[in-house]
Amino acid sequence: MKNNNKLILGIYDDADKALVSARLLKKSGFDVDDVYTPFPIHGMEKALGIKRSRLAVAAFIFAMTGMVTAVTMMVYMSWGDDWMIDVGGKPNLHIPNYIPVTFELSILFTAFGMVATFFIVSRMAHGKNAELMHPRQTDDRIVIAVNLKNESENKAISDMFISNGALEVREREVTQ
Amino acid sequence: MYESPIREVLVTGGKTYTDVSNDICRPLENKPTKAWWFGFIISALVLGLWLGATTYTLMTGIGTWGLNKTVGWAFDITNFVFWVGIGHAGTLISAILLLFRQKWRMSINRSAEAMTIFAVICAASFIVSHMGRPWVAYWPIPLPNAFGSLWVNFNSPLVWDVFAISTYFSVSLVFWYLGLIPDIATIRDRATTKMRKFAYGFFAMGWNGSTKTWNRYELVSLILAGISTPLVLSVHTIVSMDFATSVIPGWHTTIFPPYFVAGAIFSGFGMVLTLLVIGRVVLKQEDYITMGHLDAMCKVVMLTGSMVGLAYITEFFIAWYSGVEYEQYAFINRATGPYAWAYWIMMSCNLIAPQVFWTKWARSTPWFIFLLSIIVNIGMWFERFVIIVTSLHRDYITSSWAMYTPTITEFSILLGSFGLFFTLYFLFCRYLPTINMAEIKAILPKNHDHHSNGHAHSGAFVNEKGAIVNEK
Repeated sequence: MKNNNKLILGIYDDADKALVSARLLKKSGFDVDDVYTPFPIHGMEKALGIKRSRLAVAAFIFAMTGMVTAVTMMVYMSWGDDWMIDVGGKPNLHIPNYIPVTFELSILFTAFGMVATFFIVSRMAHGKNAELMHPRQTDDRIVIAVNLKNESENKAISDMFISNGALEVREREVTQ
Repeated sequence: MYESPIREVLVTGGKTYTDVSNDICRPLENKPTKAWWFGFIISALVLGLWLGATTYTLMTGIGTWGLNKTVGWAFDITNFVFWVGIGHAGTLISAILLLFRQKWRMSINRSAEAMTIFAVICAASFIVSHMGRPWVAYWPIPLPNAFGSLWVNFNSPLVWDVFAISTYFSVSLVFWYLGLIPDIATIRDRATTKMRKFAYGFFAMGWNGSTKTWNRYELVSLILAGISTPLVLSVHTIVSMDFATSVIPGWHTTIFPPYFVAGAIFSGFGMVLTLLVIGRVVLKQEDYITMGHLDAMCKVVMLTGSMVGLAYITEFFIAWYSGVEYEQYAFINRATGPYAWAYWIMMSCNLIAPQVFWTKWARSTPWFIFLLSIIVNIGMWFERFVIIVTSLHRDYITSSWAMYTPTITEFSILLGSFGLFFTLYFLFCRYLPTINMAEIKAILPKNHDHHSNGHAHSGAFVNEKGAIVNEK
């Protein structure tokens, strides 16, 4: 969206047609900005060349944070503090008994950390206004948005949309 | 997007994307029906009973219950374990079946997850009310305090339970909400009033269905499913450890964790069936929750029921085989003692009754499935009652043997907790889509565009079942 401020939108009502079009557009060298779909279309991310998200790495880091937090907390509280808890003379630093809480906190940190990271990287927030290309893109329409690098591409893109089953082609000015 | 014609289609009726949105949004975009008002009002009245009985307990103390010096846990913990167990089916459907790529889960996971959250709320209410001094309910949480920094005892399964249940509740809530976001965005964009647009828009978090976001979203869902699977198993394992780590005959058994988990899935599916057999008709969702779904769920009920039954028999055998007379007496007393009626209700409801699902007729007759699901719910409630009360009421010293009789207050809280559950469920049906529209749209059979190019069905006619017919 940096070079130009115009998007050509192809509106589809069929996932297969949209997928074929997206692949063709990409192969023809056009700058497909994004595809907006009411449901995940498998293969679309590959067609657009989107890399696998690194959120899994984030998840792992959060899990380790949870684990370290849990162990540190329990060791400190039952052992390192002034008031050692003596329950029937049982050992205070008893590793098997720490497993459940360590496990639960690892899961808790992973879930919340990963979802929060997802919201941040996807720029999602409560109350945020959605920027919609088409009013029905979350319902039953699929929108392929192509960045118009120069005006001469306009007809070629529109033709490609129409010949691949688009219901309509729109233009959209991007104010950025 | 070719789907094998051998498998039964998951959505019938030749639905298009538009049909899916219209069908699923109908209950929440129109005025509530008479059936909804009827169900909601009844539930709210029963919820009133819960409020009254719980308030009375909190104001007066647990002396209002039938507990005594021998039986210190009875209805309260029975109800707690019962409700936690109910919740497990939701996580099983949404997480474990996702990992196993069982696509039939897609039309039932939303309502099952909602059920999980409401059931855990009911369960938590029993934890708070059974404490006797609920105003210090925060004590199991390791907070810095004024008692010379006296921390919680991390050797106690009750403390593990605090962590397990709160993690389970919050992670389930996050998982459920994340799944709802694309659907909330759909409702936002269909909204006709400003108020709806604002309310759903607030929770949709600016979702616009970008492929980049979908790509991350699917990964996050997969990881959440991956961590929820061991989580759900750990929760009921830890619940069972509340009993298994004690030295009470009848509780002190290593079979408890798998036995409790199987029982939880069993009771949870019982409740899912109770809700969906009715819900699919009332909400006119027979095309989405098909007989195939009911059939699959009945099979799960039969399998887990048999696992629970096997555990009952194993427990009995091990009690005899251990040679420990206290253990042996605990089981003889269960089957023949003063609470034998409860034991035999449990046995017949959980082990014997689900065996009817071996027949195709039983799995394809909705009224019968509904009846069986109620029997399963009753049986699983009695299982917890049997484990808790019969083990406690006669332990080592005969002089301390006692009987337990519940009071009207306890019955009111038990009945009332169903009011709490169903009130929340009816509100959910009114304000949120009960079926995941985005997932359903992705698995629609492609019978509406049999003429499309570059498609596996190209040129062939596809009949309603999704099978390819070469000649028209």
